[in-house]
Amino acid sequence: MDSGAIVVLPDRFRDPNYFEDVIDLKEGIFARAKALDCSRISFIEPYSMISLILLGKACLRSRGERLKLVNIPIPVHQYLDRMDFFEGGVFMTDETLSEKMLYRRSAFSRSVIEITEIPNKERESIQVIRKVIALFRKRSTHILKYWMTPNIIEYFVTVISELCQNIYEHSMDSGYLAMQTYMMGKENIVRLVISDSGIGIRKSFEQRQDIRYGSVAELIEKSITLPISSKREFGYGLCQVNSIVKMLKGIIFIRSENAYVTSLYHKKMQDSAVMFLKNDLSSFNGTQISITLSS
Amino acid sequence: MIVSLKKMTGELKIEVPDLITRQLGRVMSDTIIEKMKSMHEGETLLLDFDGIEVVDSSFIDELIIKLLLLSRSSMFPFFIKLKNISNAVEINIDLVFNSYSSFNRDRMAVVTEGLCRNNCYYIGPLSEIERDILGYLRINKSASLDDLCRFTGAGEEEMRRTADELFSMRVIRRDGDTQYVPV
Repeated sequence: MDSGAIVVLPDRFRDPNYFEDVIDLKEGIFARAKALDCSRISFIEPYSMISLILLGKACLRSRGERLKLVNIPIPVHQYLDRMDFFEGGVFMTDETLSEKMLYRRSAFSRSVIEITEIPNKERESIQVIRKVIALFRKRSTHILKYWMTPNIIEYFVTVISELCQNIYEHSMDSGYLAMQTYMMGKENIVRLVISDSGIGIRKSFEQRQDIRYGSVAELIEKSITLPISSKREFGYGLCQVNSIVKMLKGIIFIRSENAYVTSLYHKKMQDSAVMFLKNDLSSFNGTQISITLSS
Repeated sequence: MIVSLKKMTGELKIEVPDLITRQLGRVMSDTIIEKMKSMHEGETLLLDFDGIEVVDSSFIDELIIKLLLLSRSSMFPFFIKLKNISNAVEINIDLVFNSYSSFNRDRMAVVTEGLCRNNCYYIGPLSEIERDILGYLRINKSASLDDLCRFTGAGEEEMRRTADELFSMRVIRRDGDTQYVPV
């Protein structure tokens, strides 16, 4: 293997915004990488983990060969293994952890929903959505223990259902879901991630000539603030999800193609929202959504 | 006609407590529309949500909005009432109705059997005067146009327009030209 065949991944797996630096390496990875060196990664959260799978999947599709992960730090490897990262077979690795090193799947580690593939066929996808929701309901008291308020479980059931349906209804491809509660400094964070590598929001709306927008970020903004749909007269899914995030005073991050929108709802102030729109990012297929609550 | 959604999911071999996905909404609305063939004109369709925790917006769009739009047809008018709705069901229906109304000149509202979070017996973006009319009819069981004018202080023309609008949304019934009754 020549030296150019290994791309060293930066330690930018802590947040959706940070992960942009990894997406920026995409062209180089697609062009020449045989392996990704993970030695610099000190922490990886659900959005970055699923986005890495999407990157690996896109590379596999374009070149017909799987990327190899090398020099995976043990804590990162333990986490990836716990989240079933290697189950889908998108990446290969020669590095294995002994049984003793693996995270136990005990009551203590029930604050996650492992990576689950959402198929792009309606019938199969509905079955998976039902299973994921049943699993979420079972683990919800662990996952949401810092955020337990009336109806919060039902809110998340709605969010999971809506976002997963968008995958088979609009993306024309399969996607992934994962959820986890973790600590970042002194802050407890719960993050739900539902992402796909499909056609993205702009292409999905190509048939709707009546919906006008200046940039992809503007279209994303419209899709979360207005009941628009690419297939029907109205669509309430993303709008509903955004309203729920607002009620929970959380953060919704939506990236599609080369743009993202982040909407932050203030924890203490009613109806106080800050929305960031960003265009001209490196292109990345599909739509990636992260919903975060912190305490 | 009373339709127990939980019982229907049993017949369809769907596990509750969540009624989610567009596909399920389609299947259930088709089944209900088929059952409605035995309904009389002007009858109330009571949707019983007992045992249901969550309905998502796709399901609401395919079932509740579809049925509400159908109920407004002048060919076969009927009324819809919701029973035993959980907080989450109510919140999701309310969010969808608000989105629908904010993007559309049309409005959506539905009558409920139990008291809702808005302290009223309906879900949807109704105005204050419309809310008062529904509350008055619920207590008094019947009211003439004059009664409603006296109660709200509105003029006859305005009241007729408002009451007719409520009737066209199928949240009140009309008995003759000037008499109104609750759903």
